[in-house]
Amino acid sequence: MRTPPSFIHAIEFSAFGEWMRSNVLAMPWVNAAHVLCVILVFGTILVVDLRLLGLLDRHRSVTRTADELLHLTWAAFAGAAISGALFFSANATTYWFNTAFRFKMLAIVLAGLNMAVFQFVTYRGVARWDRNEPPPRAAQLAAGLSILLWVTVLVLGRLIGFTKGFDVAVPDNIDFDFGAP
Amino acid sequence: MSLLEIAKAIDSTSLSTSIKTISWIVPLVQCFHILMVGVVFVSILMLSLRVLGRARTDEPLAMTWSRFAPFLWGGIVVLIITGVLLVISEPVRELMALSFRLKMLLLAIGIVSAAVFGRRVRAEVAVAGSEPLVSGGMRMASVATLVLWVAIIILGRTIAYDDSVWGSWSPAVLQRGGAL
Repeated sequence: MRTPPSFIHAIEFSAFGEWMRSNVLAMPWVNAAHVLCVILVFGTILVVDLRLLGLLDRHRSVTRTADELLHLTWAAFAGAAISGALFFSANATTYWFNTAFRFKMLAIVLAGLNMAVFQFVTYRGVARWDRNEPPPRAAQLAAGLSILLWVTVLVLGRLIGFTKGFDVAVPDNIDFDFGAP
Repeated sequence: MSLLEIAKAIDSTSLSTSIKTISWIVPLVQCFHILMVGVVFVSILMLSLRVLGRARTDEPLAMTWSRFAPFLWGGIVVLIITGVLLVISEPVRELMALSFRLKMLLLAIGIVSAAVFGRRVRAEVAVAGSEPLVSGGMRMASVATLVLWVAIIILGRTIAYDDSVWGSWSPAVLQRGGAL
């Protein structure tokens, strides 16, 4: 095993990391919370993206659909980041060297950049096209990219579980071949 | 025939073997499954928030229903198809998990209650020709629905940790004579 940077080592042996590894219920609950938050982030962003593509809610203004979901998206993102960080601390070294994990982080950064460009450039003039049908090309492009990037994040997140080299999902001390000699 | 025997019978079918042999099938099916959970849950969430008056109050409830019902039902169909494939690929792990059994029970309640809700909304609009009234009971039902779907999602994830979460209540643990 290669040696990770020292801060990764520090995270792995922090109190959080120790707690995640020593408490049997920590992993399942943190995992369930992570999935729930990720689903909320994806779902709420999807609704806004479909509106920006002109595929949903065409009778409503863009700002209306966006505003009522934004606080939920951020709350869920915060929950996903916290539960994700706890996950990371349990096996920091393994995640650090995992390719799917690295690409997932890259995809989140790209999704964030896409969102920032949209927010500070395209969305600034939203008053001019709030009820336009279809929404401007730049908004459609941002929405398409957003769906693509968040689907990528979810897919890569799932792939980490298959590539990380350890399997917390199925403990190896379970014998599914019940009662077999 | 016990559930364990059924699970083992499914496990030895050629379909199960093929799914297990081709390594990318299960991850791919899981990806579709999780994406559809997002679509279904957000549809339920939008309907519940509308009933609770926390979102989409500018449109009639019947419109919120007709807008999200296709996503809800389409998503559920994909979830059932992908879910069945996942069960076929690992029948013993799924069927012998308490989380899985509870999830199926709650899922049945969730699907029936969504159908009843949709039917009621459409019936009221058809009869009165106007907006169905959001009653206190409907508000409570929508909170219960949200809790139900959150529980379904959590149980879906905890199938993988059935013995740590349920201990001796887990059928897999019981089958081993209670040894954790």
